[in-house]
Amino acid sequence: MAQAITMPKLGQTAEESTIVKWHKTVGDKIDKGDILFEIETDKAVLEVESFFEGTLLKTFVGEGDTVPVMSVVGYIGAVGEKVPDAPPAAPAAPAAAIAAPSPATAKPESSTPAAQATAATAQPTVPAATPAVSRPASAPATAPAPVPTVERKAISPRARALARRSAVDYDPIPGTGPGGRIVEADVRRYLSEQGYDQRPITPAALVLAIAEGIDILNVRGSGDGGRILVADIRRVMAERPKPMNRMRSIIADRLTESFTTTPHFYVTVETDMTELLQLRRQLKETGKDYTVTVFILEAVILALEAFPGVNSRYQDHAVIWNSHVHLGMATALEEGLVVPVIRNAETLSLAELQQQIVSLATKARDGKLLPDEMSGSTFTVSNMGMMNVENFAAIINPGEGAILAVASTQPKAVVRDGKIVVRSMMKMTVSSDHRIIDGSVGARFINAVKDNLEDMELWKTLTS
Amino acid sequence: MENVDLVVIGAGPAGYPAAIRAAQHGARVVIIEREELGGTCLNWGCIPTKTLISAADRYASAMESADYGIQHGKPTVDYGKMVALKNTVVAGLRKGIKGLLKGNKIDHLTGTARFRDRQHIAVQTSDGIEQVVVAKRVLIATGSAPARPGFLPDHARVVDSRGFLDIDHLPKSLIVLGGGIIGCEFACMAARLGVKVTIVELLDDILTTLDTDVRRTVRDAMTKNLGIRILTGQALQDIEADDKKVSGRCGDDTVSAELLLSAVGRIAVTEGLALEKAGLALDERGYIPVDAWGLTRTASIAAAGDVNGGPQLAHAATSQALRIVDNWFGKERARLETLVPACIFTTPEAGAVGMGELAAGEQERRVTSGRFPFMALGKAMALGDTTGFVKWIADAETGQLLGAHSVGPHATELIAEATVAIRAELTVTELAHTIHAHPTLSESWMEAAEAANGHCIHLPPTRGRK
Repeated sequence: MAQAITMPKLGQTAEESTIVKWHKTVGDKIDKGDILFEIETDKAVLEVESFFEGTLLKTFVGEGDTVPVMSVVGYIGAVGEKVPDAPPAAPAAPAAAIAAPSPATAKPESSTPAAQATAATAQPTVPAATPAVSRPASAPATAPAPVPTVERKAISPRARALARRSAVDYDPIPGTGPGGRIVEADVRRYLSEQGYDQRPITPAALVLAIAEGIDILNVRGSGDGGRILVADIRRVMAERPKPMNRMRSIIADRLTESFTTTPHFYVTVETDMTELLQLRRQLKETGKDYTVTVFILEAVILALEAFPGVNSRYQDHAVIWNSHVHLGMATALEEGLVVPVIRNAETLSLAELQQQIVSLATKARDGKLLPDEMSGSTFTVSNMGMMNVENFAAIINPGEGAILAVASTQPKAVVRDGKIVVRSMMKMTVSSDHRIIDGSVGARFINAVKDNLEDMELWKTLTS
Repeated sequence: MENVDLVVIGAGPAGYPAAIRAAQHGARVVIIEREELGGTCLNWGCIPTKTLISAADRYASAMESADYGIQHGKPTVDYGKMVALKNTVVAGLRKGIKGLLKGNKIDHLTGTARFRDRQHIAVQTSDGIEQVVVAKRVLIATGSAPARPGFLPDHARVVDSRGFLDIDHLPKSLIVLGGGIIGCEFACMAARLGVKVTIVELLDDILTTLDTDVRRTVRDAMTKNLGIRILTGQALQDIEADDKKVSGRCGDDTVSAELLLSAVGRIAVTEGLALEKAGLALDERGYIPVDAWGLTRTASIAAAGDVNGGPQLAHAATSQALRIVDNWFGKERARLETLVPACIFTTPEAGAVGMGELAAGEQERRVTSGRFPFMALGKAMALGDTTGFVKWIADAETGQLLGAHSVGPHATELIAEATVAIRAELTVTELAHTIHAHPTLSESWMEAAEAANGHCIHLPPTRGRK
């Protein structure tokens, strides 16, 4: 019996996912636990493992295509087994997926995937409702993609061929044919007016320009006597807009929304980290290895409990207070940025917090974070301590009231008891939503973080 | 103290053309050379070795002439006479350069240059007189010299490439330490004149800068046709020289010969220049670093040729030097050329320009290749030499010619056409459509281009026909 592979539903938020890469092709033998494909959700790229073994018989969804969750994307079975030519309609209610993301999410035990697949294959008369396929970052998959209505000028086939052969765009060419149609003579006149013959280009550069649809009238040549070289065409190619991946597009939208609709204000303090760093070294010698980050996050959690107004958000002329601290920690990845969330952070001991930080950061770097581990934060810390920065201000994550930007710790000359001494100083800047947080609250909050970090009695208690 | 527009230090293939070109632009030029005009290339490199190789060619063809219906007595080698001829050729060329410098009114100082600061250069002549020249700009073109590893004994039986050219009789047997281009050229030349040759190379193969197919062809011919023993992947250890022989241990083997030629690479000549006085420092490999325009970090000072760490080839040096001088004194500015052909005068000869298949793989660039063996070429058969092939590397999408490799008869001459085609960014199709005169070895390029398109006339159909 062939088994249907479905697009898994990852967490509560995802409604559709994009297959970015198939690891198997039709005809490949599949073992349980083999990675079938990689999917990209709003927030992450995840590998999807097979729950069955057999041979990959059919795939319906190509790389780069987006389909609603629970859609059938292919079949696994025995060689020669019949499978539907078109995928069945996506089930309305979420049911068990026979493909699970790695790491596996919790799945209802009761539902049998095989029955599910049988039910689907037993109804071939159901109109082949191909899952609405859309390219990444386009309109929602449920709406039919609007047919692009690009207005191209009317042009004769000979004229079009000449323009193409010459690697020029025919759009700007005035047409003298019936109804303004561009005819071959128009192209010839245009080329001569534009001094086309005086634009030397190497043969390989011309081939490349034609293949890439680049108008060589807009290319400056860097070869002998201004001759256009392959390198010049490649430069134009490199300068063409490159569509963002889904993750980057969403980052762009959300940050624009936050920065343009939230009135930010910023408060900066400088913290003396000298003693805390000393304490950390001492702890390390006794076998207790805490990162600097864990101290900073704990200091933030304690300050948020003291200033619940900062752990809030604005929505439609209302303030929504959060009773828990779900702490986001902005983490840079090669291809973007993720914010894994430490849930109920106020309930964790320092050691538990450290363990959570390490686990989430590792998952983030390996691309193994689940969507639910990246949503629902109530406050975020962005730590650029290792990036050698004096100070910076962050943009508030949508759905939160404030964000703390932590800069590098650097040795500085400061005044203590009327004397200039060298101390390890670290600047922090809180960005706050002025609709719900006033300047004085922001100032008191960030000073509470600072005071916590400089309070050695506190850390001795927490690490004992 | 003299004020001039340009001081050129070194009169090799970078220095003397630069001086002449600057003079053509109307600049006042002084050129400083501590040895002979023409540098390594003319005196102890390209020209003398090729003169000897040409003599070896004549000897080889005389040996084979019976196969072509020519009968004469058994040829013998008078190496002393070959060396005398070589010296005549070299002397003639040196005289030519001297005449060119004079004709262009270039002041030629014999002595060693030393920077006092970035504009003042002291020249110490052999008679102990010091002269100071003040220069607006300086081109350093001091070249390179054979590296002399410390483990080699200081003995008359151990020579470098320069020392080898001074000997007036051939040894009966020769160890060549280093299987690079210089080592292999000398090995082939000596082997063809009847010397028993052993090459010892530390790397896993000889001629590692060459395309793999080309390398295999050359190595096979060196072993099978010339009887050269090639030991690779092994260091030569415990080297000892005495009155009778020079010997060493190579793994489990003991090798010994009358002479050992050290060809383990070349190092930049910079000693005595006092570069630090001009604000310059050497890179970690001992070269003077330059940018894409050939300029050092002191903008009025450039370095061309071997001394800047680029390809150690005379023609690259000349091209760099001319470009630098044109940028300084001419109207148009441009970067140094990057497409440099390489010629290797082994037997068979080899040539290479542009991208190799290995480099294409490393750059994850999709390429196709087209190859044509001389075995299938009428002219090669008529010449009686069907060793080798030519090969194009082309961009898989556009057909742009990216690299060319040749091995076989006149392979070093053949690479010129490929160099022009690649620099002009021609495509395989255009090269294939270009009429090549028949019967010539050059036709092979056209056939190989056709092969890249899967349309070769003189090769059997291949499975991968497009």
